[in-house]
Amino acid sequence: MSGLIYRNLKIYFSDKSGIFFSLMGAMISFVLYLIFLSQNMISNWSNVPDTKLLLDPWLIGGTMTITAITTTLSSLSLMVQDRERHVLADISLTDIGFLGIQFSYLITAMIVGIIMQLVMYFIMGIYFMIVDKSSMDLQIFPQILGIVILSSFIWTIFNLLLLSFAKKVDTLGKIATIVGTASGFFAGVYMPIGVLPATVQKIMKYTPALYDTAMYRDVLMQSQLRQSFKNLPNSVENKFKEVMGINVKWNHQILTIQQDILTIVVFAIVIAVLIILISKISRRVIISKV
Amino acid sequence: MKILQTKNLVKKFGNKIAVDNISLTIDQGEMIALLGPNGAGKSTTINMLIGMIQPTSGQIIFGEETTDIRAYRSKIGVVFQSSVLDSNLTVADNIMLRVKMYFKHINVQSLINKFELSSIWKQKYGSLSGGQKRRVDIARALISDPKLLFLDEPSTGLDIQTRTKIWEILDGLRKETGLTIIFTTHYLEESQNADFIYIIDQGKLIADDTVLELQKKYTKNILKVVYKTGKTQKMELDNKNEAIQILTDKKSAISDFEYRPGTMDDVFMNLTGRKIR
Repeated sequence: MSGLIYRNLKIYFSDKSGIFFSLMGAMISFVLYLIFLSQNMISNWSNVPDTKLLLDPWLIGGTMTITAITTTLSSLSLMVQDRERHVLADISLTDIGFLGIQFSYLITAMIVGIIMQLVMYFIMGIYFMIVDKSSMDLQIFPQILGIVILSSFIWTIFNLLLLSFAKKVDTLGKIATIVGTASGFFAGVYMPIGVLPATVQKIMKYTPALYDTAMYRDVLMQSQLRQSFKNLPNSVENKFKEVMGINVKWNHQILTIQQDILTIVVFAIVIAVLIILISKISRRVIISKV
Repeated sequence: MKILQTKNLVKKFGNKIAVDNISLTIDQGEMIALLGPNGAGKSTTINMLIGMIQPTSGQIIFGEETTDIRAYRSKIGVVFQSSVLDSNLTVADNIMLRVKMYFKHINVQSLINKFELSSIWKQKYGSLSGGQKRRVDIARALISDPKLLFLDEPSTGLDIQTRTKIWEILDGLRKETGLTIIFTTHYLEESQNADFIYIIDQGKLIADDTVLELQKKYTKNILKVVYKTGKTQKMELDNKNEAIQILTDKKSAISDFEYRPGTMDDVFMNLTGRKIR
C-alpha cells in the first residue's frame, strides 16, 4: 500500500497547476476579504474594539475549511482519472487488494488535506502577523492540528461519496467547479451566516462545513474574543458569535466545540454508510475496463 | 505443459456478441499471436484472460487447474494498448513504486540492464520517445517476474528499429526464462515471430495454426513476371515446379520475375475479406 500512497502523493505534488487550482476557493476567500469583506464587517461591528484582530482569525477558520474541502477533492479525483486511464485495472494486478487500493487513495487525500491546510494556516497566520500585527499563538497549535486532521477526514469521505457518482474525468471538472464555489458559502466565509435568509441558514446546517468552520473559529478566536468583549454585555458577544458563525445554533441551543465534533462524527458515520451501500455498485465499475 | 486454457468463452455486451465461443490452449514458453481486424474481439478476449472483465459464459483455466484469477494475478504481466504509466513521474519512480506494490523481493537491476533503462532512469516518463516509453512499459510489466506476458498491440506507432529491438528482447526473454507471451498486433509480419496464431473475426475463431501451416493452407505461392514488352503478369501457383515450368517455357520473353510464398498479409486478407468494417 505504501507504494501506491507514495505514488499518489508524488503525482499530486508534482502537478503545480493542479495544486494552484485546488487552492483557488481558499485564495478567492482570502483575496475577497482583503479587498472589501473585512472593511464591510469592521464598519458593521464598530462598537466592538479591535475588530480587525477578531476578523483575521475568523477568516483563517473559514478558509481552512474551504482548503480541506477542495484539496481533498482534488487529490481524490486522481482515482477517477486512474479509473478512466485503466490504471486501476493495472494496479489490481499487483499484490494490493481491492480494499488496499481504495484505502490508499483515501489516505493520500487525507495527507494532502492535512498538509495543504497547515500550509494555508501558516501563510495566512504569518501574513496577518506582518500586516495587522495579530499574534500567532503556538499554544493552540495542538488543537488546530486535531481539527486539521478531523476536517481532512470528514471531507475526504464526503468527497468520496460525491465522486462515487463521477465516472468520467469530464464530470470531475464540473464537480470541482461547483464544490469550489459552493464551499465558500457553506463554510460561511463569503458572507457571515447571520446575514443570510433563514432557509439558507437551515440548508447550511445540513452540511459539515459550518461545524468545521465553527470548530476552527472557536479555537482560533477564543483569546481575542475574551479580550474584545471583556467590557461589553454578554448579549452583544452572543449576538456576534451567532451572526458571524462562530457558534452554530440549533433552535435555541448554542453548540459547544465538543458538540461540533460530535456532529461531524455523526456526519462521518452517515456518509460512510452511504458509501458502503453505493460501493456494492461501484466495486464492479472501478475494476472493470468497459 | 499447459499454462492457459479457455473453454467456450463467450462475452456479450447487451445484445452484441463480442466474443463467441472461443477455445484456446496455450503451452508454457510459447509465443502466441491473436490476429483480427479492428473490433474482432481481440482486446475483449485479452481483457477476460487478465481478469478485467468477466466472461458471460465459458471457462478460463490457469496453470493446470485453477480458475481463480486472483490466485494467478501475480503471475501475469500486462502491457496495455494505451500506456498506464504516470507521465509526470520519472522512469525510476514508475518502476520503483511499482516494485513496492508487490510483497516479494524483486531484483530490478537485471531489467534495467536488459531494457537499457539506465540512461533514461531520471527522466520523466512523459518526456520519453515512443520507443523508450514502450521499453519502460514492458520492463514494468515484467517486474513481478510473470510466467505469462500479455501485450496488446505493443508495437503500434513505433519505427522499425524499435520494433525489431523489442521483439529481440522479448524473444531473448522467452528463451532465457521460459516466459509465455500472448500478443495482438496490426503488423501482420510481426506475427511471423509467433509459434502459434489464432485469427479472430467477428468474435469467432476462424483459424488457428502455426505460421507455416496457415500460409500453406490459406495462400498460394505468387509468381510475378515482367515481360520484355513491359507487360506484367501475376500468377498464383501451388508449387515451385509449376513456376520453373512457366519460367523455362517463356524464358526468352521474360525480362525479370519475382517468386514468393504467400505472406501473413495474404492469409489475413483471404480469411477476413477485403471489406473495411
